[in-house]
Amino acid sequence: MRHLRLQTTSDPALLAPVRRALEGFCAASGFDDKGVGEIGLCLNEAMANITRHAYSGAIDRPVVLEAQFSDDTLLLTLRDWGNGRDPSVAPPHRDPLTPGGLGLVCMRKLMDEVTFVPQPDGMMLVMKRKLGSSR
Amino acid sequence: MNLTTGSDLVPTARTAGEALIMAVRGEIDLHNSPELRTQIFDFLGKYAPKRLILNLNQVPYMDSSAIAVLVEALRRVRTLGGKICLVGLQPRVQGLLEIARLGTIFTIAKDEEEAMTK
Repeated sequence: MRHLRLQTTSDPALLAPVRRALEGFCAASGFDDKGVGEIGLCLNEAMANITRHAYSGAIDRPVVLEAQFSDDTLLLTLRDWGNGRDPSVAPPHRDPLTPGGLGLVCMRKLMDEVTFVPQPDGMMLVMKRKLGSSR
Repeated sequence: MNLTTGSDLVPTARTAGEALIMAVRGEIDLHNSPELRTQIFDFLGKYAPKRLILNLNQVPYMDSSAIAVLVEALRRVRTLGGKICLVGLQPRVQGLLEIARLGTIFTIAKDEEEAMTK
C-alpha cells in the first residue's frame, strides 16, 4: 500500500503545490496523464470548496489530505474543520452559464465515488478512483 | 496596438480592429483567477471590444474559478454585442470546458488568425 498525508491550510496559494504532490503520487501509482490530471482537478475543486464554503473564505484554517493506493484503487480523504455543511445536498448544477457547483460536478464525473461524511467538528470528503477507470 | 498589461498572467494584449487579443500564461486556480478577472475586465472596460480573443495556448491547467471568470466575461461581452473566442486550448482546459458543458458556448479556434474570422 502506498500512502501520502499532507497537513495543509485553506490558503488558495497552496492549491497548486498540494495538487502537484497528489498528481505525483497518482502518477507513481500508475495512473496515466489523463487520470492524473482529472484526480488533481478534483482535489483542487474540493480544496477550493473548503476555502470558499466550509471556511467562508478564511485562508488560515487546517485541511488534511490523505491518499492511499492499494488494490488498484486510490482512496482520497480530505478533512476540514469548517461549518460541516454537506455540499452534495445543494441543488444540482444545470445552467452552464450560471456560476457555482461546477467543482462538485467535476468530482462526481471524474471520480468513481464521492461521499461527504459529516464529522462532529467539520466534514470529511472521501473520493475513490480505480486504476484504469476511464471517463 | 500593443497594450501594457503589468501582469505575468496576461503577458501580452493588443487591439486589432474591433478585436481585443489577450494572451494568458500559467496555471489558473482560485489563487490567481481574481487577477485574471481584473485583467480581463479592465481591458473590457477600456476597449469594449466586439471580439475578445483569449489565447490560452500557454495555459496547461485551469479550475472552475477560472471557468467562472470566462463565463462572466462572456456575459459582459455579449452585452456589448460581441463574442469571445478561445484559442489554443490545452487538453486539461478542453476537458474542463466539456465537463462544464461550455465547449459549444464559447467560440473555439486553433489560432488567433482563425479566431479573427470565426
